[in-house]
Amino acid sequence: MITESEMDGIFQALSHATRRAILDHLRADAGQTVGALASKFDVSRIAIMAHLRVLEDANLVVSEKDGRARRLYLNAVPIQQVYDRWLDSYSGSFAARLTSIKYAAEETAKREGNT
Amino acid sequence: MNDSDTTAKAFADKAIYKVFIAAPIETVWNELVKTDAVLPFFFGSVCRTPGDLTTGAAMAMETPNGKFRSVVGKVIEFDPPYRYSHTFKFTGYDDPPCTVTYELEAVDGGTNFSLVTTNVPKDTKTENDMARGGTFIVNTLKSVCETGKPSFGTRFLLGLMGLATPLTPKASRSENWSFDRIEKL
Repeated sequence: MITESEMDGIFQALSHATRRAILDHLRADAGQTVGALASKFDVSRIAIMAHLRVLEDANLVVSEKDGRARRLYLNAVPIQQVYDRWLDSYSGSFAARLTSIKYAAEETAKREGNT
Repeated sequence: MNDSDTTAKAFADKAIYKVFIAAPIETVWNELVKTDAVLPFFFGSVCRTPGDLTTGAAMAMETPNGKFRSVVGKVIEFDPPYRYSHTFKFTGYDDPPCTVTYELEAVDGGTNFSLVTTNVPKDTKTENDMARGGTFIVNTLKSVCETGKPSFGTRFLLGLMGLATPLTPKASRSENWSFDRIEKL
């Protein structure tokens, strides 16, 4: 089973907007190098590497050496473990339906200029 | 999200699904390469191969009743207890085979287990199923190695999947996927 200290690591890693943005970039472009990733942010490469260390410790990012470059991959497994702790396949489908209603309603509200 | 090293590719380069398993590397390996037994982490199917799992061997993931072979492939690499790689084709889809590699690494207190997919055809049902299947496989294998059984939610899901067997496409019938045919893939 996943330990509480592993869970602490996952939530701590996710509790920063830049680290969440890093995961978005790795999801869109799996296997990009540290340099390519860092160029998408206004902060220093050193800061991005520090964020990557936190994400790797939480197992949310996996890196592989490729010659002189380091390639980065999103590892979605810990996020699934968080999901599995509170949702099963039954309640999960209702939660998914509610969130899609929420997104659709917000989309419509935006189009109609209500927000 | 455009980047200099991103061009339109027909194949997703690679995806990695990684988990720590609190069990010795041999335990994890032996679960992974079991043949002729129901494998909860592989959606309750049974791995069949004509002789031993070894480089070049054909393999098929078969339903326990033997009627369907949902996934077929050929072993590319077999290096106990560290690395096992095979081609991977869903028999229900027309997509070309991709590659699945399992990597095991002994670490303090257990094993780091990675499932790596390469050459997955982009924007296909195969890609979709691999993304869902990857996390399921590594988490269920973890549960089986650590506790001897899949989690409750997974057992529930496997029960539901058993009920869905009549919906399996005809293309997946075992008689359509002899080891001879798999070897020629």
